[in-house]
Amino acid sequence: MNETDNNNFDDELMAAAAELATEVTPDRDLWPGIEQALPHPGRPARTVWNSTWAQAAAVLLLVGGSSGVTYLAITEDLSPLPPVAGGPTLVFEPVSGSFGSMYNLGPDYQDARRSLAAKVDEELGRLTAEERNEVQKNIDVIRAAIEEINKALAAEPDNALLQKLLLSTYRDELGLMMRVDKITSAAMRRGDI
Amino acid sequence: MAALLTATAAAAGYEAVPVTAESTTEEHGWIRKAQTADSAAFGSLYRMHVDRVYGLCLRMTGNVAEAEDCTQDAFIQAWSKLNNFRGESAFSTWLHRVAVNTVLGRMRKSRREQDRIRAVSDVLPAPETIGDSGGLRDLEQAIDELPSGARHVFVLHAVYGYSHDETSDMLGIAAGTSKAQLHRARRLLAQQLKTECA
Repeated sequence: MNETDNNNFDDELMAAAAELATEVTPDRDLWPGIEQALPHPGRPARTVWNSTWAQAAAVLLLVGGSSGVTYLAITEDLSPLPPVAGGPTLVFEPVSGSFGSMYNLGPDYQDARRSLAAKVDEELGRLTAEERNEVQKNIDVIRAAIEEINKALAAEPDNALLQKLLLSTYRDELGLMMRVDKITSAAMRRGDI
Repeated sequence: MAALLTATAAAAGYEAVPVTAESTTEEHGWIRKAQTADSAAFGSLYRMHVDRVYGLCLRMTGNVAEAEDCTQDAFIQAWSKLNNFRGESAFSTWLHRVAVNTVLGRMRKSRREQDRIRAVSDVLPAPETIGDSGGLRDLEQAIDELPSGARHVFVLHAVYGYSHDETSDMLGIAAGTSKAQLHRARRLLAQQLKTECA
Protein backbone atom coordinates (compact mmCIF):
# COMPACT_ATOMS: atom_id res chain seq x y z
CA MET A 1 0.00 0.00 0.00
CA ASN A 2 1.54 3.34 -1.06
CA GLU A 3 1.22 6.76 0.55
CA THR A 4 -1.80 7.73 -1.55
CA ASP A 5 -3.59 4.59 -0.45
CA ASN A 6 -2.74 5.40 3.16
CA ASN A 7 -4.09 8.92 2.83
CA ASN A 8 -7.26 7.62 1.23
CA PHE A 9 -7.65 5.11 4.00
CA ASP A 10 -7.19 7.80 6.63
CA ASP A 11 -9.75 10.04 4.98
CA GLU A 12 -12.24 7.21 4.76
CA LEU A 13 -11.55 6.18 8.33
CA MET A 14 -12.28 9.68 9.58
CA ALA A 15 -15.38 9.93 7.39
CA ALA A 16 -16.63 6.62 8.73
CA ALA A 17 -15.90 7.69 12.31
CA ALA A 18 -17.82 10.91 11.81
CA GLU A 19 -20.81 8.85 10.75
CA LEU A 20 -20.81 6.69 13.86
CA ALA A 21 -23.70 7.08 16.25
CA THR A 22 -23.15 9.88 18.72
CA GLU A 23 -26.42 9.15 20.47
CA VAL A 24 -27.17 5.87 22.16
CA THR A 25 -30.23 5.22 24.27
CA PRO A 26 -29.40 3.56 27.60
CA ASP A 27 -30.91 0.13 28.18
CA ARG A 28 -32.62 1.38 31.31
CA ASP A 29 -34.11 4.64 32.52
CA LEU A 30 -31.37 6.43 34.42
CA TRP A 31 -33.50 9.38 35.50
CA PRO A 32 -34.99 7.94 38.74
CA GLY A 33 -31.50 7.36 40.13
CA ILE A 34 -30.42 10.84 39.12
CA GLU A 35 -33.53 12.52 40.51
CA GLN A 36 -33.11 10.76 43.82
CA ALA A 37 -29.50 11.87 44.12
CA LEU A 38 -30.01 15.49 43.10
CA PRO A 39 -28.71 17.83 45.75
CA HIS A 40 -30.93 20.89 45.38
CA PRO A 41 -28.95 24.07 44.71
CA GLY A 42 -30.96 25.86 47.36
CA ARG A 43 -30.09 23.24 49.90
CA PRO A 44 -26.32 22.99 50.07
CA ALA A 45 -25.95 26.07 52.24
CA ARG A 46 -28.59 24.70 54.57
CA THR A 47 -26.86 21.35 54.61
CA VAL A 48 -23.55 22.94 55.46
CA TRP A 49 -25.26 25.01 58.15
CA ASN A 50 -26.81 21.90 59.62
CA SER A 51 -23.57 19.99 59.44
CA THR A 52 -21.83 22.84 61.17
CA TRP A 53 -24.47 22.82 63.87
CA ALA A 54 -24.16 19.08 64.21
CA GLN A 55 -20.41 19.41 64.63
CA ALA A 56 -20.85 22.22 67.14
CA ALA A 57 -23.43 20.14 68.96
CA ALA A 58 -21.06 17.21 69.05
CA VAL A 59 -18.36 19.39 70.57
CA LEU A 60 -20.82 20.80 73.10
CA LEU A 61 -21.96 17.31 73.88
CA LEU A 62 -18.44 16.12 74.44
CA VAL A 63 -17.51 19.07 76.63
CA GLY A 64 -20.85 19.25 78.41
CA GLY A 65 -21.23 15.53 78.92
CA SER A 66 -17.74 15.02 80.20
CA SER A 67 -17.84 18.08 82.46
CA GLY A 68 -21.15 16.88 83.90
CA VAL A 69 -19.82 13.47 84.65
CA THR A 70 -16.60 14.94 86.02
CA TYR A 71 -18.56 17.34 88.21
CA LEU A 72 -20.63 14.52 89.61
CA ALA A 73 -17.61 12.33 90.13
CA ILE A 74 -15.71 14.93 92.13
CA THR A 75 -18.63 16.11 94.21
CA GLU A 76 -19.70 12.64 95.29
CA ASP A 77 -17.81 9.67 96.58
CA LEU A 78 -19.09 7.06 94.23
CA SER A 79 -18.80 3.37 94.07
CA PRO A 80 -18.08 2.12 90.52
CA LEU A 81 -21.05 2.84 88.32
CA PRO A 82 -22.68 0.15 86.26
CA PRO A 83 -21.74 0.28 82.60
CA VAL A 84 -24.09 2.24 80.39
CA ALA A 85 -24.39 -0.74 78.12
CA GLY A 86 -26.39 -2.36 80.87
CA GLY A 87 -29.32 -0.10 80.01
CA PRO A 88 -32.04 -0.85 77.50
CA THR A 89 -30.90 -1.65 74.00
CA LEU A 90 -31.22 1.25 71.60
CA VAL A 91 -33.01 0.33 68.43
CA PHE A 92 -33.54 2.54 65.42
CA GLU A 93 -36.90 2.06 63.90
CA PRO A 94 -37.53 3.62 60.51
CA VAL A 95 -40.82 5.47 60.46
CA SER A 96 -42.57 6.29 57.25
CA GLY A 97 -42.83 9.93 56.32
CA SER A 98 -40.29 12.69 56.25
CA PHE A 99 -36.88 12.11 57.67
CA GLY A 100 -36.97 14.67 60.43
CA SER A 101 -38.17 12.01 62.78
CA MET A 102 -37.41 9.06 60.61
CA TYR A 103 -35.16 7.57 63.20
CA ASN A 104 -37.01 6.99 66.40
CA LEU A 105 -35.93 4.94 69.32
CA GLY A 106 -37.56 1.61 70.03
CA PRO A 107 -40.51 1.44 72.45
CA ASP A 108 -38.44 -0.29 75.15
CA TYR A 109 -35.95 2.51 75.09
CA GLN A 110 -38.66 5.16 75.07
CA ASP A 111 -40.30 3.59 78.15
CA ALA A 112 -37.01 3.29 80.02
CA ARG A 113 -36.04 6.83 79.06
CA ARG A 114 -39.39 8.24 80.17
CA SER A 115 -39.35 6.51 83.54
CA LEU A 116 -35.69 7.32 84.13
CA ALA A 117 -36.25 10.96 83.20
CA ALA A 118 -39.17 11.17 85.62
CA LYS A 119 -37.08 9.56 88.33
CA VAL A 120 -34.17 11.90 87.63
CA ASP A 121 -36.49 14.93 87.79
CA GLU A 122 -37.74 13.70 91.12
CA GLU A 123 -34.32 12.88 92.50
CA LEU A 124 -32.73 16.08 91.33
CA GLY A 125 -34.63 17.59 94.22
CA ARG A 126 -32.31 15.75 96.58
CA LEU A 127 -29.27 17.58 95.22
CA THR A 128 -28.21 21.04 96.23
CA ALA A 129 -29.33 23.89 93.98
CA GLU A 130 -25.82 24.23 92.56
CA GLU A 131 -25.54 20.53 91.80
CA ARG A 132 -29.04 20.45 90.36
CA ASN A 133 -28.30 23.36 88.04
CA GLU A 134 -25.08 21.78 86.88
CA VAL A 135 -26.73 18.43 86.13
CA GLN A 136 -29.68 20.06 84.43
CA LYS A 137 -27.35 22.17 82.33
CA ASN A 138 -25.56 19.05 81.09
CA ILE A 139 -28.78 17.23 80.34
CA ASP A 140 -29.94 20.28 78.39
CA VAL A 141 -26.71 20.31 76.40
CA ILE A 142 -27.18 16.68 75.44
CA ARG A 143 -30.81 17.21 74.47
CA ALA A 144 -29.93 20.27 72.42
CA ALA A 145 -27.30 18.17 70.68
CA ILE A 146 -29.89 15.48 69.93
CA GLU A 147 -32.17 18.09 68.44
CA GLU A 148 -29.43 19.58 66.29
CA ILE A 149 -28.25 16.21 65.06
CA ASN A 150 -31.84 15.33 64.15
CA LYS A 151 -32.08 18.57 62.18
CA ALA A 152 -28.84 17.81 60.38
CA LEU A 153 -30.10 14.31 59.64
CA ALA A 154 -33.22 15.76 58.09
CA ALA A 155 -30.98 17.41 55.49
CA GLU A 156 -28.63 14.47 55.15
CA PRO A 157 -30.68 11.38 55.91
CA ASP A 158 -28.05 8.96 54.66
CA ASN A 159 -25.19 10.42 56.62
CA ALA A 160 -23.98 7.39 58.53
CA LEU A 161 -21.75 9.50 60.74
CA LEU A 162 -24.67 11.61 61.92
CA GLN A 163 -26.76 8.49 62.52
CA LYS A 164 -23.97 7.05 64.60
CA LEU A 165 -23.57 10.33 66.45
CA LEU A 166 -27.28 10.44 67.20
CA LEU A 167 -27.28 6.93 68.55
CA SER A 168 -24.23 7.66 70.65
CA THR A 169 -25.81 10.88 71.96
CA TYR A 170 -28.97 9.08 73.00
CA ARG A 171 -26.79 6.56 74.75
CA ASP A 172 -24.90 9.35 76.52
CA GLU A 173 -28.15 10.92 77.65
CA LEU A 174 -29.28 7.64 79.08
CA GLY A 175 -25.88 7.10 80.71
CA LEU A 176 -25.97 10.53 82.35
CA MET A 177 -29.46 10.00 83.68
CA MET A 178 -28.47 6.61 85.08
CA ARG A 179 -25.46 8.15 86.76
CA VAL A 180 -27.61 10.87 88.33
CA ASP A 181 -29.98 8.19 89.55
CA LYS A 182 -27.09 6.27 91.09
CA ILE A 183 -25.60 9.36 92.69
CA THR A 184 -28.83 10.45 94.29
CA SER A 185 -29.49 6.91 95.48
CA ALA A 186 -26.00 6.74 97.01
CA ALA A 187 -26.43 10.16 98.60
CA MET A 188 -29.72 9.08 100.06
CA ARG A 189 -28.19 5.90 101.49
CA ARG A 190 -25.37 7.86 103.11
CA GLY A 191 -27.89 10.33 104.48
CA ASP A 192 -29.96 7.50 105.89
CA ILE A 193 -26.94 6.10 107.67
CA MET B 1 -11.11 -1.68 2.46
CA ALA B 2 -12.16 1.62 0.96
CA ALA B 3 -15.47 0.10 0.02
CA LEU B 4 -15.85 -1.27 3.50
CA LEU B 5 -15.37 2.12 5.09
CA THR B 6 -17.57 3.88 2.56
CA ALA B 7 -20.28 1.38 3.35
CA THR B 8 -19.85 1.97 7.06
CA ALA B 9 -20.19 5.69 6.59
CA ALA B 10 -23.39 5.21 4.69
CA ALA B 11 -24.65 2.62 7.07
CA ALA B 12 -24.95 4.80 10.12
CA GLY B 13 -28.52 4.23 11.00
CA TYR B 14 -28.66 6.89 13.66
CA GLU B 15 -29.84 10.37 13.10
CA ALA B 16 -29.22 13.14 15.54
CA VAL B 17 -32.32 14.97 16.66
CA PRO B 18 -32.23 18.22 14.72
CA VAL B 19 -31.83 21.25 16.91
CA THR B 20 -34.41 23.76 15.81
CA ALA B 21 -34.85 27.34 16.96
CA GLU B 22 -37.95 26.18 18.80
CA SER B 23 -36.16 23.42 20.69
CA THR B 24 -33.33 25.80 21.55
CA THR B 25 -35.76 28.30 23.02
CA GLU B 26 -37.43 25.52 24.94
CA GLU B 27 -34.03 24.37 26.18
CA HIS B 28 -33.15 27.87 27.39
CA GLY B 29 -36.39 27.93 29.35
CA TRP B 30 -35.59 24.60 30.97
CA ILE B 31 -32.09 25.73 31.82
CA ARG B 32 -33.38 28.89 33.48
CA LYS B 33 -35.93 26.92 35.46
CA ALA B 34 -33.43 24.22 36.40
CA GLN B 35 -31.09 26.93 37.65
CA THR B 36 -33.80 27.81 40.16
CA ALA B 37 -33.81 24.22 41.42
CA ASP B 38 -36.71 23.06 39.24
CA SER B 39 -35.94 19.37 38.96
CA ALA B 40 -38.79 18.80 36.49
CA ALA B 41 -37.14 21.24 34.08
CA PHE B 42 -33.85 19.48 34.65
CA GLY B 43 -35.64 16.23 33.84
CA SER B 44 -36.58 17.72 30.48
CA LEU B 45 -32.95 18.65 29.87
CA TYR B 46 -32.00 15.13 30.83
CA ARG B 47 -34.40 13.64 28.30
CA MET B 48 -33.14 15.99 25.64
CA HIS B 49 -29.47 15.16 26.14
CA VAL B 50 -29.24 11.75 27.75
CA ASP B 51 -28.67 9.80 24.54
CA ARG B 52 -25.76 11.98 23.55
CA VAL B 53 -24.20 11.99 27.00
CA TYR B 54 -24.67 8.24 27.36
CA GLY B 55 -23.23 7.68 23.87
CA LEU B 56 -20.15 9.67 24.83
CA CYS B 57 -19.76 7.86 28.14
CA LEU B 58 -20.22 4.51 26.43
CA ARG B 59 -17.61 5.22 23.80
CA MET B 60 -15.16 6.63 26.31
CA THR B 61 -15.50 3.88 28.88
CA GLY B 62 -16.31 0.93 26.65
CA ASN B 63 -18.38 -0.49 29.49
CA VAL B 64 -22.16 -0.41 29.72
CA ALA B 65 -22.44 -0.41 33.51
CA GLU B 66 -19.72 2.20 33.82
CA ALA B 67 -21.32 4.32 31.11
CA GLU B 68 -24.63 4.24 32.98
CA ASP B 69 -22.93 5.29 36.21
CA CYS B 70 -20.98 8.01 34.42
CA THR B 71 -24.14 9.32 32.79
CA GLN B 72 -25.91 9.52 36.12
CA ASP B 73 -22.91 11.15 37.78
CA ALA B 74 -22.55 13.59 34.92
CA PHE B 75 -26.15 14.78 35.25
CA ILE B 76 -25.84 15.03 39.02
CA GLN B 77 -22.66 17.06 38.58
CA ALA B 78 -24.38 19.19 35.95
CA TRP B 79 -27.23 19.91 38.35
CA SER B 80 -24.79 20.99 41.05
CA LYS B 81 -22.85 23.21 38.67
CA LEU B 82 -25.80 24.49 36.71
CA ASN B 83 -25.50 28.00 38.08
CA ASN B 84 -22.00 28.15 36.57
CA PHE B 85 -23.47 27.74 33.10
CA ARG B 86 -23.58 31.22 31.61
CA GLY B 87 -24.58 30.28 28.09
CA GLU B 88 -21.15 31.11 26.67
CA SER B 89 -21.18 27.77 24.86
CA ALA B 90 -24.01 25.50 23.79
CA PHE B 91 -25.54 23.66 26.73
CA SER B 92 -24.75 20.35 25.03
CA THR B 93 -21.05 21.29 24.82
CA TRP B 94 -21.01 22.35 28.45
CA LEU B 95 -22.74 19.10 29.40
CA HIS B 96 -20.21 17.14 27.35
CA ARG B 97 -17.40 18.74 29.28
CA VAL B 98 -19.03 17.75 32.52
CA ALA B 99 -19.48 14.21 31.20
CA VAL B 100 -15.86 13.95 30.03
CA ASN B 101 -14.64 15.20 33.40
CA THR B 102 -16.86 12.68 35.11
CA VAL B 103 -15.54 9.83 32.99
CA LEU B 104 -11.93 10.84 33.56
CA GLY B 105 -12.51 11.33 37.27
CA ARG B 106 -14.08 7.93 37.64
CA MET B 107 -11.39 6.27 35.56
CA ARG B 108 -8.73 7.80 37.71
CA LYS B 109 -10.43 6.44 40.79
CA SER B 110 -10.86 2.92 39.57
CA ARG B 111 -9.45 0.52 37.10
CA ARG B 112 -12.83 -0.63 36.01
CA GLU B 113 -11.93 0.18 32.46
CA GLN B 114 -10.13 -3.10 32.28
CA ASP B 115 -13.11 -4.93 33.61
CA ARG B 116 -15.26 -4.81 30.56
CA ILE B 117 -18.32 -6.82 31.29
CA ARG B 118 -20.02 -6.06 28.06
CA ALA B 119 -18.31 -4.69 25.02
CA VAL B 120 -19.76 -1.60 23.39
CA SER B 121 -20.26 -3.55 20.19
CA ASP B 122 -22.66 -5.86 22.03
CA VAL B 123 -25.13 -3.12 22.77
CA LEU B 124 -24.83 -0.66 19.92
CA PRO B 125 -27.50 -1.23 17.29
CA ALA B 126 -26.39 -3.19 14.25
CA PRO B 127 -25.98 -1.41 10.93
CA GLU B 128 -29.22 -1.45 9.01
CA THR B 129 -28.07 -1.10 5.43
CA ILE B 130 -28.64 -4.24 3.42
CA GLY B 131 -25.44 -5.60 2.05
CA ASP B 132 -23.31 -3.83 4.59
CA SER B 133 -20.19 -5.82 5.16
CA GLY B 134 -20.22 -5.22 8.89
CA GLY B 135 -17.59 -2.53 8.56
CA LEU B 136 -19.31 -0.17 10.96
CA ARG B 137 -19.39 -2.80 13.64
CA ASP B 138 -15.75 -3.59 12.91
CA LEU B 139 -14.90 0.06 13.36
CA GLU B 140 -16.93 0.27 16.59
CA GLN B 141 -15.10 -2.73 17.94
CA ALA B 142 -11.72 -1.48 16.80
CA ILE B 143 -12.33 1.86 18.55
CA ASP B 144 -13.43 0.03 21.64
CA GLU B 145 -10.15 -1.86 21.69
CA LEU B 146 -7.96 1.22 21.46
CA PRO B 147 -5.88 2.18 24.49
CA SER B 148 -7.81 4.68 26.60
CA GLY B 149 -5.72 7.76 25.73
CA ALA B 150 -6.00 7.18 22.00
CA ARG B 151 -9.64 6.18 22.29
CA HIS B 152 -10.67 9.31 24.18
CA VAL B 153 -9.04 11.58 21.63
CA PHE B 154 -10.41 9.63 18.68
CA VAL B 155 -13.94 9.60 20.10
CA LEU B 156 -14.00 13.32 20.90
CA HIS B 157 -12.23 14.46 17.73
CA ALA B 158 -13.25 11.99 15.06
CA VAL B 159 -16.67 10.87 16.27
CA TYR B 160 -17.97 13.95 18.09
CA GLY B 161 -16.18 16.48 15.90
CA TYR B 162 -14.40 18.51 18.54
CA SER B 163 -11.28 20.39 17.45
CA HIS B 164 -7.90 19.45 18.88
CA ASP B 165 -8.03 22.54 21.08
CA GLU B 166 -11.44 21.58 22.46
CA THR B 167 -10.44 17.93 22.82
CA SER B 168 -7.21 18.73 24.63
CA ASP B 169 -9.03 21.22 26.84
CA MET B 170 -11.66 18.64 27.80
CA LEU B 171 -9.10 15.95 28.47
CA GLY B 172 -6.64 18.24 30.22
CA ILE B 173 -3.81 17.46 27.83
CA ALA B 174 -1.75 19.55 25.40
CA ALA B 175 -3.08 20.05 21.88
CA GLY B 176 0.09 18.39 20.58
CA THR B 177 -0.64 15.33 22.71
CA SER B 178 -4.14 15.23 21.30
CA LYS B 179 -2.74 15.20 17.77
CA ALA B 180 -0.23 12.53 18.66
CA GLN B 181 -2.93 10.37 20.24
CA LEU B 182 -5.12 10.79 17.17
CA HIS B 183 -2.25 9.72 14.94
CA ARG B 184 -1.69 6.72 17.18
CA ALA B 185 -5.37 5.85 17.12
CA ARG B 186 -5.52 6.05 13.31
CA ARG B 187 -2.45 3.87 12.99
CA LEU B 188 -3.83 1.25 15.39
CA LEU B 189 -7.24 1.31 13.74
CA ALA B 190 -5.68 0.96 10.32
CA GLN B 191 -3.64 -2.02 11.47
CA GLN B 192 -6.64 -3.68 13.01
CA LEU B 193 -9.10 -3.02 10.22
CA LYS B 194 -6.64 -4.00 7.51
CA THR B 195 -5.89 -7.22 9.34
CA GLU B 196 -9.57 -8.03 9.60
CA CYS B 197 -10.12 -7.10 5.98
CA ALA B 198 -7.28 -9.24 4.73
